[in-house]
Amino acid sequence: MSNDTNATITRIAEIIIDELKLEDVTPASFDPDLDLVDEVGVDSMDLATIALVLRDEYSIRIDEDDYPKLTTVRFIAEYIIDKQNSSE
Amino acid sequence: MSGQPQEYKFSDILAHPEIRERWEKVRKFFFLRESTYDMSNRCNIRCEGCYYYTGEKQFAEEVGDETAWRQLLESEKNRGITFVVLAGAEPSLVPNLCQVCYDVIPWGAIATNGLIPIPKEIDYRIHISIWGNDKTSKAIRKAPNMLTKQVANYQNDPRAVFVYTFTPTNIEEAREVTRFLADHDQQITFNMFSSPVGYQGELRHSPESLKQTREVMHELLSNYPETVLFSPYNIVAHTDSKALHDLFSCSYPRLNSSTAVGLGRSFRQYRTDLQWDREASCCVPDTACDDCRHYAAGSAVVTARMYRHATDPTTFSAWLDYVDTYLAVWVRGYTKGKNLCDTFITPPSNTQ
Repeated sequence: MSNDTNATITRIAEIIIDELKLEDVTPASFDPDLDLVDEVGVDSMDLATIALVLRDEYSIRIDEDDYPKLTTVRFIAEYIIDKQNSSE
Repeated sequence: MSGQPQEYKFSDILAHPEIRERWEKVRKFFFLRESTYDMSNRCNIRCEGCYYYTGEKQFAEEVGDETAWRQLLESEKNRGITFVVLAGAEPSLVPNLCQVCYDVIPWGAIATNGLIPIPKEIDYRIHISIWGNDKTSKAIRKAPNMLTKQVANYQNDPRAVFVYTFTPTNIEEAREVTRFLADHDQQITFNMFSSPVGYQGELRHSPESLKQTREVMHELLSNYPETVLFSPYNIVAHTDSKALHDLFSCSYPRLNSSTAVGLGRSFRQYRTDLQWDREASCCVPDTACDDCRHYAAGSAVVTARMYRHATDPTTFSAWLDYVDTYLAVWVRGYTKGKNLCDTFITPPSNTQ
């Protein structure tokens, strides 16, 4: 896994922790493969909020139909990197 | 000047203090996850165009056993449901079952015709349906003096909100009904008649009736801001020539096959036999989706489309007004704020 991917994962974890006000977890300790819906309790409105913050951060557009794909921090990171690569 | 519209970051939009304040207010309720429950297959009146008495659900066996209901609600709570909507056919006929629901999940709303008072101990929002003035109600619902009885039953009751369903034949009557409710310190919100599957009767809206309804809604919202729980964007969303699914892509399971997240994952519509069917699950089963402008549907469907509304301060303000309205209508104790956007905006598409 590249340093870029690791950095993206850490930053996404930081955003999720901040937006959802999660306690007892840090960006470094956040398991990137944790299922955000099943294991963290994220719902569609949380995902929409996170998507908007990610839009600001990475200047990408996240399609509403893609929310079901964004179930882990790792999937979100891969989605963002794909979007950035495809727009280059 | 490039002529290009300004692109806003979400943080730019939230930098507006009144937008930020409203955003923080509404997002506290993002934990609400709804399901709906038909409580009884009986009703004390029979209204033309009633969606309950369309399709198969009306023939479901009625389970009156409190223990069975308690077990269902406990299991619902365990799978994350935090808000219940008790409906069809008439929940006030089974107050003991409503009480069981309230005891297990304390957030919710009850849809009733208002002719039988629901005990005060059940502290849900109470939605009392109105289909016109008393003359029209007698014709369509076969019940005399409805509004007088409804108001008497819920006088000074903070749970109550009256839901006026606009049909092509009662648009003008909304004025006298709203004035009557204002005089009695009640609150009103607006619904649109949405045809049951196969319905082609005179209550189905036309382009002209949608236009007239929009004008009257706007007039009443302007004239009775303390009485009418609505916003300009509610008016736009519910009187557009396109129905809600065409405008916002309905997210209820009936039209959404995804079970990953949101309503497609958690929403269920239970019939009176305590069974549910994913293929029929939405807040108004057996309503024709291409004609659905129902207030309950909009409350979930428009709210779910937050991302596409975060394009600029005006559009996001309109969305916040809609969500603020929906919470005021559905959640006990939630107080609606002043609308932030007083103009009609065009609903954004998914590509924005």
